[in-house]
Amino acid sequence: MRPAAAASDPTKHFFQPIIVCLTVASVALTLFVIWISLHDLSLMRAGREKFVGLDNYIRFLGDPRAMAALWRTVLFTVLATVIEIALGLAVVLFLDRDFAMKRLVRTLLLVPIIMTPVVVGLTWRFLFDPATGMANYLLSLGGIDQVDWLGSPRIALFSVLVADIWQWTPFVILLVMAALESAPTDPLNAARVDGAREWQVTWYVLLPMLRRALAIVALIRAIDSIKAFDLFYIMTRGGPALSTETLNYYGYIVAFTNFDISYALAIAIILTVFTNVALLTMYSVLFPKTGDR
Amino acid sequence: MARRALFYVGLALLLLAVLFPLYWVVVTSFKTTRDAFAIPPVWLFSPTLDNYRTVFANRGFLSAFANSFIVSILSSALAVAVGSVAAYGLAQQPAELRRAREKFILSLRIAPALLFVIPMYYLATRIGALNKHWLLIAAYAFVNVPFAISLLITFFDDIPKELRDAARVDGAREFSIFWHVYLPAARGGIIATLILCVLFTWNEFFVALVLTGRDTQTLPVSITSFLTFQGIQWGALTAAATLIMLPMIVLGVLVQGQVVRGMTLGSVKG
Repeated sequence: MRPAAAASDPTKHFFQPIIVCLTVASVALTLFVIWISLHDLSLMRAGREKFVGLDNYIRFLGDPRAMAALWRTVLFTVLATVIEIALGLAVVLFLDRDFAMKRLVRTLLLVPIIMTPVVVGLTWRFLFDPATGMANYLLSLGGIDQVDWLGSPRIALFSVLVADIWQWTPFVILLVMAALESAPTDPLNAARVDGAREWQVTWYVLLPMLRRALAIVALIRAIDSIKAFDLFYIMTRGGPALSTETLNYYGYIVAFTNFDISYALAIAIILTVFTNVALLTMYSVLFPKTGDR
Repeated sequence: MARRALFYVGLALLLLAVLFPLYWVVVTSFKTTRDAFAIPPVWLFSPTLDNYRTVFANRGFLSAFANSFIVSILSSALAVAVGSVAAYGLAQQPAELRRAREKFILSLRIAPALLFVIPMYYLATRIGALNKHWLLIAAYAFVNVPFAISLLITFFDDIPKELRDAARVDGAREFSIFWHVYLPAARGGIIATLILCVLFTWNEFFVALVLTGRDTQTLPVSITSFLTFQGIQWGALTAAATLIMLPMIVLGVLVQGQVVRGMTLGSVKG
């Protein structure tokens, strides 16, 4: 029942200046970024840039290192997202009962999430140390041969993945747990009264109720995994033999090791477009038109 | 009974997996070099503070601590101040307009940091701002403002509309409603938002790696220096790591209910 004075609604003045600032800043930035990516700007040769059209983008398509990095990004993102969601959901279902220290457990699960990512990387590098690390010590207790966790091109990517899973599965757990607790319990009890077995209740009643929360956390994890940088920088620096170089990391190397600003921004733009396409696809799969959103 | 025992075994394994890496780093920071690298590992040992002495004797680390502190507090305060004004305005809008604005604010978060860090770096080298604190504060405020807005909206939405209507009937202007009604009512949410901004800024690595110079290095950047000089000094490194993460874990536990809400921007309320 608001009066029809919306045109002079003073609350507009609260957000419009800031929205305008953010809009102007992002439009200017976007135009500047596109402009740079169409030139050959390098910090090594300042002031001698010239227009090169789409050369940087064409170069990307013919750059085997970039293509390998793109593929690795996809692999890492899919694995991290799927494993974290599956593992997180399993733990949530496991913890779905009343027990004495539930609040404390929840607090402890928070710790990896708020830990500085650089420190997480250092921690796992320490545990994965080939000679003195805990991981190899545990293997030796089981009589298994030593593994060169971060030094072997075939294994290193998965070692980084382990650290990522360690840090972010608790996030999935806490988020899905919150959703589970705000979900109504009536449908569950009704299904039980109707004689459904416990797994049937979980599969046909509980999981559909958690769908929205799972979809949201999957989107968030996918966005963050595509952009993952800290763990790679600390644990492997893209090595050995480029075996852990993701597209985001390659873009960083091109920009700040080779100082090839234009090509790096072309990579960043491709990464952004790629992320958006992936997200929109995921979004339309997870939230179909008839869905609950 | 057996099922119950099995549950607690499972729970113990889960907590072990979550907490052991953290425990191991903290414990190693109190060990001598010989104990730290003993195989099999030493579980009981006489603790030493040598590693912490090494870290505190490192001038670079101390100034990084100061830099991290200043940069995260100032940029977060700036973001929350600006963000709360905008969020108040947005929270009063009809749902349709709001959703469009919120979507725009969210879309700012999807772009990889590389996209805006490179042009910022380029411009900063041109005007010689690379080694200045304000550059970093501005960069983080720019990153934190959209986050603060979207999170604060969810807290302002929790305030009953009747409070605002009553104040308007009393003839209060919008700004005084914002200042005298909304800010006090959402105090907990505003503090939580501020803490979350500080937490993200303190932990952030990529932007800091690119945009800091010798005098403005923040902690995550500074700690990497222990990695390159004469191999890896794990003792000092674990002590430094403990010092970096400890304040954040304390802050995080203080606002624990809001962390999940913050990281999902209110799409799931914790």
